Amino acid sequence: MSNMNEKLLIDIGSTYFKVSTDNSIEQHFRDFNKQILDDLTHKCGDTLQRYDSKNVHICSSANGGLSTLIIGVTHSFSLKYASNIAYNAGINVIDSIIFQDIEDYSIPSDLIDVVIIVGGINSNGGVFDERLTSYLAKLNYSSVVYVGNQPDGALVAERVEQLVVLPNIIDDRLHIVEEHLKDFLTNLYQQDIEGKEDIKHLYQITDNQIYSTPYVVTKSLPLIHGSFPVTDPFILLDIGGATTDVHYSKDLVNDNIVTEQGFDRLVFKKLGVYKSRQSLIFTAENNEFSYELLMHLKVTENIYQEHSEKATKVLMQLAIFLVLCKMSHYRPAYVTLRLLTVNSIVFTGGITKVLTTEDIEDIVAFFYRKILNSDHKPVTVLDSGYNIWTLGAKEHAVCL
Amino acid sequence: MKVVTGVIGNDIHVVANRLMDLSLNARGYEVFNLGVNTYLEEFFDAAVETGADILLISSLNGEAEGWAREVKLLKAEYKSIDKLIMMIGGNLTVGSGNAEDIVPRYQNYGFNLVCHQVDLNTGLDMLEAYVDEHRPGERGKGELGNVEHNTREQVPS
Amino acid sequence: MSNQLQEEREIILGNENVDAFDFDEVREFVKGADEQLFISHHFATKDKMLVQPRGGFPTYQKQYALYEFFVDANVDVLPLTIDSNTRLNDYSTAKKMLRLSEENEVDMLNGYPLVNHGYRTTRKMMTHFNHPVSLRHGTPDARLLIEIAIASGIFEIEGGPITYLLPYSKNFPLDKAFLYWKYVERVCADYSTLNKPINRESFGPLTATLVPPCITIVIQLLEMMLSLEEGVKSFSVSFSQQGSMIQDIVTGKVTRALAKHYAAQIGCEDAVINLVYHQWMGAFPTNRDSADQLINMSTVIASMVGADKIITKTREEAVGIPTKEANAKVVADTQYTLRILNGLPGISDEMEEEVLTAEVHAIMEAVFNDPADTLWRKVFNSIKNGIIDVPFSPHIINHNKMITIRDAQKNIRIIDRGNVPIPDRCYVYEKSCCDLNKDTTSIVNDIIHDIGIMQ
Repeated sequence: MSNMNEKLLIDIGSTYFKVSTDNSIEQHFRDFNKQILDDLTHKCGDTLQRYDSKNVHICSSANGGLSTLIIGVTHSFSLKYASNIAYNAGINVIDSIIFQDIEDYSIPSDLIDVVIIVGGINSNGGVFDERLTSYLAKLNYSSVVYVGNQPDGALVAERVEQLVVLPNIIDDRLHIVEEHLKDFLTNLYQQDIEGKEDIKHLYQITDNQIYSTPYVVTKSLPLIHGSFPVTDPFILLDIGGATTDVHYSKDLVNDNIVTEQGFDRLVFKKLGVYKSRQSLIFTAENNEFSYELLMHLKVTENIYQEHSEKATKVLMQLAIFLVLCKMSHYRPAYVTLRLLTVNSIVFTGGITKVLTTEDIEDIVAFFYRKILNSDHKPVTVLDSGYNIWTLGAKEHAVCL
Repeated sequence: MKVVTGVIGNDIHVVANRLMDLSLNARGYEVFNLGVNTYLEEFFDAAVETGADILLISSLNGEAEGWAREVKLLKAEYKSIDKLIMMIGGNLTVGSGNAEDIVPRYQNYGFNLVCHQVDLNTGLDMLEAYVDEHRPGERGKGELGNVEHNTREQVPS
Repeated sequence: MSNQLQEEREIILGNENVDAFDFDEVREFVKGADEQLFISHHFATKDKMLVQPRGGFPTYQKQYALYEFFVDANVDVLPLTIDSNTRLNDYSTAKKMLRLSEENEVDMLNGYPLVNHGYRTTRKMMTHFNHPVSLRHGTPDARLLIEIAIASGIFEIEGGPITYLLPYSKNFPLDKAFLYWKYVERVCADYSTLNKPINRESFGPLTATLVPPCITIVIQLLEMMLSLEEGVKSFSVSFSQQGSMIQDIVTGKVTRALAKHYAAQIGCEDAVINLVYHQWMGAFPTNRDSADQLINMSTVIASMVGADKIITKTREEAVGIPTKEANAKVVADTQYTLRILNGLPGISDEMEEEVLTAEVHAIMEAVFNDPADTLWRKVFNSIKNGIIDVPFSPHIINHNKMITIRDAQKNIRIIDRGNVPIPDRCYVYEKSCCDLNKDTTSIVNDIIHDIGIMQ
């Protein structure tokens, strides 16, 4: 048995899993023919044995996270506020709909984990009508939550089964109220993880609740300065197999929104180098600078068809470039960041196993030169030892 | 009645904005003040979220001409604000310009009420007259925050 | 200095707009710098009120020419006002505009782009004039700017996380501003160990629009505490002319007394606290002669207040950026008034002092009672909760619930306290001073009039 208080931290990703003790960290490529628990005990059995189940803490992003579709009445308030809360709760926004045009939107075929309905301050009822219910009737979703104006809440609840009604996320000054929706979504994510068959088995080795990885990473951001030479404002990129997660300092956006935490998060769901490889390539083919970037890396577009170490490396470099583009004025997505004031870019996740600091800095410099016409050079920090996750997991374990 | 107000664009006239807020309150409107540096979309979006009756945009640094042409086009994208009373006030042009040219031009841009270099109270009187004519009986009574009247208590020791 | 701070400094100064920052050389420079460059030295050794104008031009030549005028007018402290692009950390635009200003003789910036000029160049000007220089900016994230300033020989840094944010910004995150200013305090504290102390100065005028003295003082005290707790040894609290002489005198007295009190409370009795007075910061008369009279009266009040430094305005205030001639004239005029102004009576108003002191203590107590673990977070939460509320701030975090107006003596009074914990008896008193027995539109008209009181 190990020291009474020593903790074992485990993170289950879609491609790798990581096991961290006080003095070591190991990482393994997952064997998809095995149950996670079997794979884990097979590869790290000795380590696992040394820990009491009350000292084992596990988090997971293996299922790619929850997806949400948001129905709101405006971009500047309802959709923006709900997206912000969803992202910060670790949920991926797959679509957002302006209610007045709801009949023009196509119905997504995938199962939506949670639908969020929002719009209007409490003194403004009558915002929603039967078009909402008929849209929902066609939609394939697991749960639905209403966080819009109070009067409509009761009406919608009568017509939509299983509707969860929470306090409005827009207050009477048109400011955001995060608390209730954030807690709800965090719990939902939590239940989802616990509900997964694969994950359930893991409770054989831990007494503690299994949390979502983005939630744990969020915990580490305020503490990051203690472990890395990172200077605010910074962005943290976690380019994974299926999605890319970005955490960024709030002063990088020029947004009229007062939220609780110093960082915001966003997710690019279809930017990844394994599961989302095809959509990454599709995005690259539609970016006029990709060709130049490939030339710069001394490869051709044939690399997209290759399945070599070299190809993985190039795809990861492309992913960095495309993510930065999506956060700039060049290809604005959910937010545009003031990238010229970024002092540090932190990279974590699988990418740190493949690319060197030089590989990354080369791409970052290329981006700044081509897209922003600047010699700006944020300091690149590589979290190759998964310290950020360990930091968050430890902080989290201590808080419990 | 609900009013959404604010100062548009790259304009930091805070004092004028806050006074507008206080004055509207004093005249009995329910005010949603978006403050300075507000984008056109935010104004319309706020009108939708609050169910406002009136949108009152201030533009004090003479840049109004630059964005006012977009008003009609943008407003046309919204389906629930057809009845919104649209008002604009401030310095609506750079340098000297006379109201006879400016007012019809801005009316053409989609504003019901145009106040070029009109003082605050005169402008708000115009709004009241307009509301009384087009929406009779809908105006409320004035108040000013928590200020209680007739407070003439003695000086404490 | 901690390794972490040094690492952060290296990243900040690794910016592409900085030409090879030489930490060791800068340290040696500060160590050996002439004591005349330190305003803390002048505060310690001079009896007279120091006179400091305002001013910043884009090019080196124009700034140099401005300083020549100021020195001829017998200036005590030189200003360096920074352009608004630099204030927003947009150094590349500042660079372009500087080049255009240099090529075309037209000023394309409203101040001196210090980062683009760099410290090697700017230091030549500062050491040539050998006067203390005060950095005036308005930057929420001033980390790079103050590094370049100190390296240039500028040993007074104005601003603070609250006073440089709430009056100027709509949405810069306040929590980040606190962290960025912590860096500033730490760097100033570190350099202060090498020679005379670097002076930090808070910006008391805030929005310069009907801000009641209790709010001004609370913010001055909190920024002072945030600075002293990081090791700063010389700090200036400030406020601007409010419109009533007695209110200014009372404000000065209470500010001094409470600054001492709260510095002692955190064990920083050894820090030197000075008081700075700003000439009228509100809307100025367009008539230049009236403006001169107003400026002169401000100087008289500053003397009654007993300020250690006065910051001047110019007769061209209402028109635009003042010429160097107008700017130099006000320095000479102010020095003249100060020289002939003798035998001032000591005036006080104990009841006003008592009420103001009670208000400040009550707000400070509410701030300290916030459950957060650090002072900056307590202050942050207090602003978010409206315990501190700055009238006429454009920032979205500010509550804007407090309403103020002038009484018959033109004292600023609170008629709606919003969420600010003004003690009931003080609140009753404040309101009893005003004529509120009229309809609300008339009260708003009074407020409009009260803002334009000097026009």
